[in-house]
Amino acid sequence: MNLTINPILALLIFPGGISLLIFGLVYEFGDRKLVARFQNRVGPRWFQPLADFIKLLAKEEIIPASVNPALFIALPIVALAAALTAALYVPMFGLQPAYSFSGDLVVTLYLLSLMTLCIGLAGANTNDRFSLVGATRALTQLFSYEAPFLLAMLGPAIALGTWDITAVNASASHNWWFLLTQPFGFLVALVGLMGKLELPPFDAPEAETEIVAGALTEYSGRGLGIFRMGRNIELVIGLTLIASFYMGGLTSPLDFLWKTLVLLLVTALLQSLFARLRIDQTVGMWWRVGTILVLVQLLVIILGRNLSPLIQPLIGG
Amino acid sequence: METNKAPEKFIVSIGPQHPALKEPGHFEFTVDGEIVKDASARLGFVHRGMEKGTESRNYVQDLYLMERVCGICSHVHAMAFALGAEKLAGVQAPPRAQAIRELVAELERIHSHMLWLGVAAHEGGFDTLFMFSWRDRETVMDLLEQVTGNRVNYSANILGGVKVDLDDVKKDALLKGMDFLEERTQHYLKVVTEDETFLGRTRKIGLMTKEQAELLGAVGPTARASGVEHDVRVDSPYAGYTEFPTRLITEPAGDLEARFVVRINELFESYRLVREIVEHIPAGDLAVRMPRRIPEGETVSRVEAPRGELFYFIRSNGTDQPERVKVRTPSLCNWASVLTLAVGHKLADMPMILAGIDPCFSCNDRMVTVNRGNEMQDWSWEDLRKYGIAYYK
Amino acid sequence: MTIGSMFGDVFKSLFKKPVTEKYPFAESVTPEHFRGKLEWDPEKCTGCQLCVKDCPSNAIEIITIDKVNKKFVMRYHMDRCTFCSQCVLNCRFNCINMSEDEWELASAKKEPFEVFYGREEDVTELMARAARPETGEGCAEEKAQ
Repeated sequence: MNLTINPILALLIFPGGISLLIFGLVYEFGDRKLVARFQNRVGPRWFQPLADFIKLLAKEEIIPASVNPALFIALPIVALAAALTAALYVPMFGLQPAYSFSGDLVVTLYLLSLMTLCIGLAGANTNDRFSLVGATRALTQLFSYEAPFLLAMLGPAIALGTWDITAVNASASHNWWFLLTQPFGFLVALVGLMGKLELPPFDAPEAETEIVAGALTEYSGRGLGIFRMGRNIELVIGLTLIASFYMGGLTSPLDFLWKTLVLLLVTALLQSLFARLRIDQTVGMWWRVGTILVLVQLLVIILGRNLSPLIQPLIGG
Repeated sequence: METNKAPEKFIVSIGPQHPALKEPGHFEFTVDGEIVKDASARLGFVHRGMEKGTESRNYVQDLYLMERVCGICSHVHAMAFALGAEKLAGVQAPPRAQAIRELVAELERIHSHMLWLGVAAHEGGFDTLFMFSWRDRETVMDLLEQVTGNRVNYSANILGGVKVDLDDVKKDALLKGMDFLEERTQHYLKVVTEDETFLGRTRKIGLMTKEQAELLGAVGPTARASGVEHDVRVDSPYAGYTEFPTRLITEPAGDLEARFVVRINELFESYRLVREIVEHIPAGDLAVRMPRRIPEGETVSRVEAPRGELFYFIRSNGTDQPERVKVRTPSLCNWASVLTLAVGHKLADMPMILAGIDPCFSCNDRMVTVNRGNEMQDWSWEDLRKYGIAYYK
Repeated sequence: MTIGSMFGDVFKSLFKKPVTEKYPFAESVTPEHFRGKLEWDPEKCTGCQLCVKDCPSNAIEIITIDKVNKKFVMRYHMDRCTFCSQCVLNCRFNCINMSEDEWELASAKKEPFEVFYGREEDVTELMARAARPETGEGCAEEKAQ
């Protein structure tokens, strides 16, 4: 769909801004409800994430004595801002993004990583042991999944020969779904998204039974609410990106809805199947299995691109 | 950053309030990066003065008081107390009562092991196994409610026998419940021994050799998972275990996986015992008359709680109130093994190692005076009070 | 070595109803012999006080209105009761037993936790004697026996 919206409106109301916040809450509900149903439980009601967010905003924010107060208050806001900005370049709701330029794929992916960096900094800021251990683990995990995830997202971009998300989105709807032609890439991208969002089994940085809440232990009230909202938005953006790249582009809101919901179902399924991986097991897994898979995938893509002009005359056009 | 001595040593304290612990206890791990270098524990947060409380209540009231030492193993506490008091009074409970005592004890073992399975899975981040095993545990809780009248604190024992009886409706329900649970437990055994991610958290973690287990004084399934062959039900049978004996279950490996396997195999053994008791329970009375005033004497009674060997010492002075009741619970013995094993493992393994011994903090807390050399100190009530007040200043 | 060994359970759960009991919107049934709230029949009571003697938490008091005519009132502290049913066992005349249905005993005030059982006229007479502290009356009667 080629609907162009006034950029300011796009930034604040739709498809970014308020509607993105609301959509983030909806997807958080979807995730929690699906995981609960997989575990044979009832799960929360539809307004639970909204209620959580409002409750957190209403609580007192306790700033520990030994932190840098400016940094403590600014980090959640920077994280949320990064997530919201990334939404400008992604085809949210199947509509054309407000801005697009060549290379915005790289910018978007870096904006999504900024969130994890903020969490790492937030944990390192305090004096609390649990936060320090959590921050270390968050940054370690960032170093382990980031490279394979980036390469997996670059797969379709290389195949289509462009760095522009909008162009990839448009061309992906004319080709075979990359899900079928680049299965390894899809797998690495989806699991990498789970690592980025610290969903189980990659939730070592915020392992509840070991280090209370990881890097966010000292946060309460507004700061915690904003961090969690940033995480929800990252979930939506990540699912949109993967759906648009690997599942044949997003051409309309309905398309967007069903494709991202299917991905959410798969993500929830993967969340409930495994025990938590220790941080060293995470790093080991990514740097062995993940990297090899994605490198093989890239090799296949590059070979395919270079060899296809040679093969096509043989097949007959 | 609070450092101990060298700048890279770093103390992570777990508890008393921590999501890993279900009850309060304080552990300090000196950590270097992610590797634990040293561990120490401090207990005593739920001390309630129950041993003192027994001295001002009569034996019947004490039975119910002792039941509430622990919520998960309440029946074995009451059974140990009742056995001790019956020994002092010189009465023996009739065979039907012994069988029903064993039945409820085995049902309690089932519920305790399933609870532990879920909790240990949760400590390892495997929430799905936690939810499913607790869902299946509801079956045994409903059975206990049907047989005894309450889900926790069953109050099935009285001095001289039991006060609940089995009828055909209950027997049918028990047999059906055991069938369902056996099928599910087979599935959990497969999950625990085959799931790749779970094995990554349990295999070769918390390895304790047989010599270490014997030296550190570990009891119960924790010791049996290292090959130590002690089980009070087999070594010195009590209650109904003479007619319906149980098998000793050990595993040689000694790591966390072995502790899972031992407890799940004990579950199978319990199912078999419950079925056998339901089929072949002897007819007869439920209780014998017990005198109000228990004759003077001292006695020791040992039973096998789900966590290990439970040991009761009762001294009576001829009145209807005991003079001294001493309870030694199994969890207290297993802490030394945790603190020794923790060294060298990663911080992420600490919750699972703590949960691996199936700790029950409410059972734990009592004052332990260690005799060094030849000093024997007799503590009177006044001494204790003064010590307590001075300690907390 | 399997990956995702709980897949069967997890996948099937999507199509099954959740196993959570929807209490309090759905009724929760208790089995027979469930130990709920205490119930007392004043007609058969002889005032032997065996139930009072063995209660682990002193939750029962038998207050004598008229010993000769066997008029007693039971004051039951529901918040102290441990629901152990020792009193049921001790009573030789079967006047005490535990309800199977009444177990939803939570309350926001303290008053519902003190329950007086007895014949109408006995309870009113007890209330009329409210000048004297209740526990003193009960203990004095017990010592007198």
